[in-house]
Amino acid sequence: MNIENTQSQMRKGILEFCILSIIRRGEAYPSDIVEEMKASNLNILEGTLYPLLTRLKNAAMLNYRWVESNSGPPRKYFLLTEKGEAFYQELESTWNELANAVNTLANKKDSITPPDASL
Amino acid sequence: MKKIININFQGRVIPIEESAYDILQDYIVSLRGYFAYEESRDEIINDIESRIAELFSDRLKRTTTCITDDDVNTVIASIGRPADLEEAEGTQSSGTTATKAAPDDEHKAFQAEAGTESTTSRRLFRSENDKILGGVSAGLGHYFGIDPTIMRLLFVLFMFMGFGLLLYVVLWIVVPATQLNINVRKRLFRNPEVRMLGGIAGGISAYLNIDVLIPRLLFLAPFILGVLANIFRVGGINFDPVPNFFFKGFGGTFLIVYIILWIVLPEATTATEKLEMRGEKVDLESIKKTVKEEFETLKVRAEKFGGELKDRAETIGQDLKKGRQHLASETAPVVRRTRSGLGHAIGLLFKAFFLFIAGVIIFTLVTALVALLFSGVGAFPFKDFLLNGFWQNFLAWTTLILFLGIPIIALLTWLIRRVMGVRSTNHYLGYSFGSLWIIGLVCALLLTGSIARNFRSKTSVKENVLINQPSNGKLAIKVTEGNVKYYGSDWFGFSGDLPFFSKNEDSIMMNTVRVKLIKSADSQYHVYAVKFSNGNTPAVAEDLANKIVFPVNQSDSVLYLPKGFTITQRDKFRNQQVMVIVETPLGKIIEVDRNVDSYNWFNINVNRRNGWNSGWDERWDNSYYWNSNREYLMTSDGLKDMKNEMDNERKKYERSRKQRNREFEDDTRSNGNQDENDNSEGGYRYKDSNRKRDTVIIIQKDTSKPVENTKSVRQEIKKVTDKHGSSSDAPKALYTLLTVF
Repeated sequence: MNIENTQSQMRKGILEFCILSIIRRGEAYPSDIVEEMKASNLNILEGTLYPLLTRLKNAAMLNYRWVESNSGPPRKYFLLTEKGEAFYQELESTWNELANAVNTLANKKDSITPPDASL
Repeated sequence: MKKIININFQGRVIPIEESAYDILQDYIVSLRGYFAYEESRDEIINDIESRIAELFSDRLKRTTTCITDDDVNTVIASIGRPADLEEAEGTQSSGTTATKAAPDDEHKAFQAEAGTESTTSRRLFRSENDKILGGVSAGLGHYFGIDPTIMRLLFVLFMFMGFGLLLYVVLWIVVPATQLNINVRKRLFRNPEVRMLGGIAGGISAYLNIDVLIPRLLFLAPFILGVLANIFRVGGINFDPVPNFFFKGFGGTFLIVYIILWIVLPEATTATEKLEMRGEKVDLESIKKTVKEEFETLKVRAEKFGGELKDRAETIGQDLKKGRQHLASETAPVVRRTRSGLGHAIGLLFKAFFLFIAGVIIFTLVTALVALLFSGVGAFPFKDFLLNGFWQNFLAWTTLILFLGIPIIALLTWLIRRVMGVRSTNHYLGYSFGSLWIIGLVCALLLTGSIARNFRSKTSVKENVLINQPSNGKLAIKVTEGNVKYYGSDWFGFSGDLPFFSKNEDSIMMNTVRVKLIKSADSQYHVYAVKFSNGNTPAVAEDLANKIVFPVNQSDSVLYLPKGFTITQRDKFRNQQVMVIVETPLGKIIEVDRNVDSYNWFNINVNRRNGWNSGWDERWDNSYYWNSNREYLMTSDGLKDMKNEMDNERKKYERSRKQRNREFEDDTRSNGNQDENDNSEGGYRYKDSNRKRDTVIIIQKDTSKPVENTKSVRQEIKKVTDKHGSSSDAPKALYTLLTVF
């Protein structure tokens, strides 16, 4: 078992959930998403974020809007669609279940007695 | 000291060091390679580029006057190199499958992912990320390690052989789709660097690693030869030879192959594609990537095996604990999944069916249109005989170009766009095609109308042909063997059955002639030539009919008809026809020679009500059907074929005899062994069912006189018929024959 691989698998599964939860709070610019995630100790490369956003957009979870910026050309801001919202809700409930399960399992202190020990 | 260049990068002007620019360029190329099989690669690259541009301009505002190598490297680090991205995401394919499987719980996603990882190498899939129609070709290419373009070409080839479409549709339905990493390093592209026309020869030379000259000569040589040959061949002929050398001969085939390749092959535009074209490894990273991928696959397989074992153990344990409740919740998603699978299959079927039908319709339309266009061009030498005045000519040209040409051009444009994956951004092309076509349609209608007016009335002129009564009571009709020389029986590759053939430049020869045989009212042969013509008015039509020259010659009992009749450009073609009416008196013989069959007859009936009118004899409707090279006897109930009469009677007899044999065979079978009684009833039977057929003994009802062998029966018939002479008496003869027995 490779620790790095397991970690990246774990992270990957929740990446979309995190991104959607950020965008859900309001229109977001990709680099802001990166910053916000960095602030909560989740590092993500912009090179990973862009294809993810595009895929979500292609799946009609996200939409985008061109917003004029004070310097240079307009920037692409992403926002959640209704479908994306429903998708997020499902992810959230799954996440809660998972987190609960993982927490209860990981935090259990009592040791499991082997069945044949009682005999 | 470094050179600084100004670049326009995503709408911003960026001063950048040349070396930094090179680093940036390489980076973008490597990203392109990394996202090569992402569905919307361009969009992603574009987003990343504008982000980089933004970071650059921030930097320029704050500190420096130009972008240096370090700046570029910092930015690249924050975006991520392909290798970093891979690490963050795992391999690309697993990334996408995980995204897809996300709604299910982790366990399932992991399983699905592990499944595809281990199977992509040796299972046949349709490719979802490199497809033109259904991704079948790309999938096959992936499976066999061949360039998808070559598979595509093979399918096109098979399609011309007939079964390609069906095969494709079947594969489309049967084979599942997945995201595939293309494992081919060498691909067939059009080479923009070595190009004369489309860069196809260049691409082929790069693919096969041969000199450009070889494919180029291969394409050109037969074509040039063809053109030269055609120039010599058509040297003396005035009309345009284009269709001839276009679709005949070797050169045309190669031209078509070239055009198809041009449409099918993508052009190698990016550095990656150019490297792929030559079959060189894309860069160091790609080598690293492939090696790593191999390694990963192995690793994942091992992990999957371990994971599966663990999972199973866990589920068993949980099942034991939670019992039925858990089972129910486990099966629910499975049911949901299979249903969606079925829906997917139905959707696919529908899509395949729809596309199949659409393909057939388009194919038919194209074929019909091409045929129309070229028949239009082919009919062009005739236009002077059909069209009257400037306006009709003008309308004809407009119709040809707009009504027939535009759809072909539009379809070709659409096909090329579809194949090349170009999406049209504006609709002006469609609108202009549409409006031009409508203009063409209007022209076509006007033209048809105005031509139809010229055919409005039809008139006939009856001309009595004076003949001498043949001495031997038999008249033969022949067509004069041509002393008229003509060329052009092979117009544009049509050969044979045109109702007209060219005689010289300003006149054509028509052979719309028909011979009708009817009964004469008196005891003489009569021959009439009835000339028909259409025209704007009855007067014009009559005038044109009168202008038809159709001389009939006679030498004793043979009547010679001319090969056809001539119409000139001045007279125009107005459906001129000649009907030769031969009246045969009772008891006389008429024969029509085989070469009369070379006449063609067709009718253009524009206006039924005013159509057939003056001079039409009612008796002509009661003409008799005839075959060429047969002698017919005119009797009170029509023509009698003299040769056939006997044959017919004999055949009739044979048939009835056979039937009787069959009946009595049935009798024997059904009655079993009661033969003694049957004899008294006078039925037919085999004496011994074990005997061979030809020794059948027929027992006649009245006389019970056996006749051995059918041969003798035939001889008897012959004797009797000989005695009676004429064949028309054959039935009588048969009757007597039977009664004699």
